[in-house]
Amino acid sequence: MKKKIIWASVIAFLILEILIGINIKPDMSSIGEARHKFHSIAGHELPFGGINVPTMYVTWGVMAFIIILALLAMRNVKLVPGRLQLVFEMFVGAFDKLCSDTLGERGRKFMPLVASLFIFICLCNWVGLIPLGWEEPTSDLNTTLGLGIICFFVSHGAAIRYKGIKKYILDYFEPMIEIKGVKIPNVVFMPLNVVGEIGKLISHSFRLYGNILGGAIIMQVVSNLVRYIALPVGLNLFFGLFVGAVQAFVFSMLALTYVSVLVE
Amino acid sequence: MVEITGAEIIRAAAMLGAGLAMGFGAIGPGVGEGYAAGKACEGVAREPENAGLITRTMLVGQAVSESTGIYSLVIALLLIFVVKA
Repeated sequence: MKKKIIWASVIAFLILEILIGINIKPDMSSIGEARHKFHSIAGHELPFGGINVPTMYVTWGVMAFIIILALLAMRNVKLVPGRLQLVFEMFVGAFDKLCSDTLGERGRKFMPLVASLFIFICLCNWVGLIPLGWEEPTSDLNTTLGLGIICFFVSHGAAIRYKGIKKYILDYFEPMIEIKGVKIPNVVFMPLNVVGEIGKLISHSFRLYGNILGGAIIMQVVSNLVRYIALPVGLNLFFGLFVGAVQAFVFSMLALTYVSVLVE
Repeated sequence: MVEITGAEIIRAAAMLGAGLAMGFGAIGPGVGEGYAAGKACEGVAREPENAGLITRTMLVGQAVSESTGIYSLVIALLLIFVVKA
């Protein structure tokens, strides 16, 4: 009986979708422009090509959502946790274990950064699932490059702190030339190492940006082709939920990996 | 007779370039990610108790090998949406 009702509602939904969808004309000319609106405030051109206002709104919205959720979960903390508190404790515990597995005891210092990167990026990627026409903030290079720069400075700061400034600078001259047991800094490889560090920053931020923007554009194009009938649900499940979560996890794991590579 | 101007040639070249960039750029990441996934399958078959760790490492490795494909995707998107003659 229950199954019949579910199937009947699915079929009714599909028929309704087809009826609506036939009237929608596929329009793909505005896909590129819609995702690159730069705005100026009060007629003044802003530096760096202006600020992307929708991205700012959605970013602040996601941050407010996270803060409110955290306040709700931690409102009355008990020894025997309630449901929301248990979810948060499991989340924190999992990331704590991950960081201490990768970096040892000092890795726990990076747990807040890695965990908040994950939760922020994950929720930013899932914003596209809300059917309000919002854009994911992570499909804007400004957001991802900002996050990448944070990870860049954190990893280099940690390297200077844990290795000392001398060892940090000498590491740019790896691999050392060894003559009769004496190690001489290798000047030839220095530019390559510097470019490699900058390349890490670029690949870190462009990976997230490209994945999310590419997924969003594929979703828009295919949804237009099938006139928003049935297929966008599966597309949203894959490109929205799965790829969003995986890319958020990959971004935070790579931040941790870059720290561990530089620190050791 | 349709007249073809320079603008149209630029547009056509950008579209062709986008297709070429995406097509050739997808070869490397495809091979690399498939290899990583295959090796991870072997690893999970050999030690099923480490499946979680192997999957996690595989995902991070795949994401790294994917970056060249993402670069070509970004270049293709730039060519399609930004190059306006």
